Amino acid sequence: MSELATLARPYAAAIFKRAKETQSATSWSKSLAFMSAVLKNPDISVVVDNPKVDKQRLSALMLDICQGHVNEENESFLKLLVHNNRLRLVPTIAKLFEAFKADDEGYMEVDVMSAYPLSKEAKQEFAATLEKNLGKKIHMNVAVDKSLIGGVLVRAGDKVIDGSIKGRLQHMQKALK
Amino acid sequence: MQLNPSEISDLIKKKIENFDLSAEAHTEGTVVSVTDGIVRVHGLSQAMQGEMLEFPGNTFGMALNLERDSVGVVVLGSYQHITEGDIVKCTGKILEVPVGEALLGRVVDALGNPIDGKGAIETTETAPIEKIAPGVIARQSVDQPVQLGLKSIDAMIPVGRGQRELIIGDRQTGKTAIAIDAIINQKGTGIKCIYVAIGQKRSSIANVVRKLEEHGAMAHTIIVAASASESAALQFIAPYTGCSMGEFFRDRGEDALIIYDDLTKQAWAYRQVSLLLRRPPGREAYPGDVFYLHSRLLERASRINAAEVERLTGGKVKGKTGSLTALPIIETQGGDVSAFVPTNVISITDGQIFLESNLFNSGIRPAVNAGLSVSRVGGAAQTKIIKKLGGGTRLDLAQYRELAAFAQFASDLDESTRKQIERGQRVTELMKQNQYSPMSVAQMAVSLFAANEGFLDSIAVNKVLDFEAALHLYMKSEQSELMNNINATGDFSNEISNGLKTAIETFVKTHSW
Repeated sequence: MSELATLARPYAAAIFKRAKETQSATSWSKSLAFMSAVLKNPDISVVVDNPKVDKQRLSALMLDICQGHVNEENESFLKLLVHNNRLRLVPTIAKLFEAFKADDEGYMEVDVMSAYPLSKEAKQEFAATLEKNLGKKIHMNVAVDKSLIGGVLVRAGDKVIDGSIKGRLQHMQKALK
Repeated sequence: MQLNPSEISDLIKKKIENFDLSAEAHTEGTVVSVTDGIVRVHGLSQAMQGEMLEFPGNTFGMALNLERDSVGVVVLGSYQHITEGDIVKCTGKILEVPVGEALLGRVVDALGNPIDGKGAIETTETAPIEKIAPGVIARQSVDQPVQLGLKSIDAMIPVGRGQRELIIGDRQTGKTAIAIDAIINQKGTGIKCIYVAIGQKRSSIANVVRKLEEHGAMAHTIIVAASASESAALQFIAPYTGCSMGEFFRDRGEDALIIYDDLTKQAWAYRQVSLLLRRPPGREAYPGDVFYLHSRLLERASRINAAEVERLTGGKVKGKTGSLTALPIIETQGGDVSAFVPTNVISITDGQIFLESNLFNSGIRPAVNAGLSVSRVGGAAQTKIIKKLGGGTRLDLAQYRELAAFAQFASDLDESTRKQIERGQRVTELMKQNQYSPMSVAQMAVSLFAANEGFLDSIAVNKVLDFEAALHLYMKSEQSELMNNINATGDFSNEISNGLKTAIETFVKTHSW
């Protein structure tokens, strides 16, 4: 995973630069998401990993599948990846691209796990507190996870704020040892 | 001990009362790969160099390689249960070990956990294993001796408190024996000892512990053991662990002695860790920072002045200096001191005790090579009487070495050369000493005095040690006042000189050896 990130970074940086020049970050982001989804398909994976499939046929196949979801620039990007044997990097490139985009636009992706569904007011209040705490605008993705028992668990990048009952119980277990 | 249920619930209640309930914030990463005790972790962008990281299953690791997208971590202990995708948490702390008086008499592993089956260690204090050595202002020069109790070393290669004196030699030359004798001789001197065993057989470690217990030396000793079967990471950090435990005493105005047995194996362990972390190999495949590995460790052995002790203890201890003396051990291969690690450590330390296998095999034990062994700072710290009497010994041996080749033509030599050879043979014989029988300053002084004044010249070479033993017995029973006086002051005066002379003359007349 870490090695993939190292390999993917130059590609992601290049397309992000290009996207900024042509002001097409949103469309890039959409098509990258589509390409990643395609590559995660097990049938496609088999083809991509098969060394017998030659590059021309592979790029023709990819372009065929992605038709309607990619523009000309996306197409040449795909061809380049096929040529360099780096098609596997697409999901990582997409992730890094999103990170560049988020950084540029000054917001942060935050995952919030809650034991119970949050009401709209609660979400707003929570988002405001988090923004103050992290010092950045946030995009909050809320999910429900019953195994937390109670409270919430926030993930912002590497940072984790664990306010769940489950976390506290684990913490207490360690303290009592 | 009987435990009743209410006690337990009280205990738990107390613990829960002190329990911090605030939401816990930390950074997390995920395990990408596990290879031979090295774990690569994705994420953890906030990790510090040397930070302690928490793996599932109460396992800890130390961050050693901080890269752009990942962190290279060595696992401290077993890593079999760690799998790809496991969550790794930052603890925000540099690796710490327990320190304190409670560790004396105990055997602990490289993380400070007891392994001697004597229960938990009652100490609340901890110290980071990596610390920067005291600065120039905090230091004081070495001027008090550490008596190792070995004639040949205390007379010719004296060690002072705060000195770093290397013990170097091939396998089976008695390196560990010197170290153990040194520990035994610190009984009752107030010097606390730490013995760090790195990469040794468990049976050897058990032997050392047993010998120390037999001689009543465990009470002032901590043993840090990272045996050959423990992971390379633990063998690599064990000396730093021991050093932090020793610094605890140094920083409280006490004296401590630490033995690293041996640093060659630590360098091997570090080489393994470094190569697995894919750091570029250099000479003999050691990484580029193998010099710093030992220099930063040995630099922490030092003598600090009273002002620094006062500052470190917050004014509780006044007017006392603290010291940590280090006796690192290096094992050479085939007597080759010009290999990479031996030359490094020779250049770092304040002198070396050089042991040779042919001396050892010819029965000269301790097998100290007096010509190649030096102590660069110990002279200033040597007890006055030993300094005065030991000077002659060194000279006698040096002259003897030059002439030894002619010894077989004894009959054709002139009078003075023959005398020098005979003196040399007797002094060489006198420098022999049995294991586990360290000598007091007075005993050494008597032996050296007898050699200097020529009392040994009329005694057959193979009778020298018998003569010495009988002399010591006589001095103990008949001249205990004089001996106590020498032990107490360590001074050499005309009065003492005359006292020794008449005592030995009286003894010689008895012919009782």
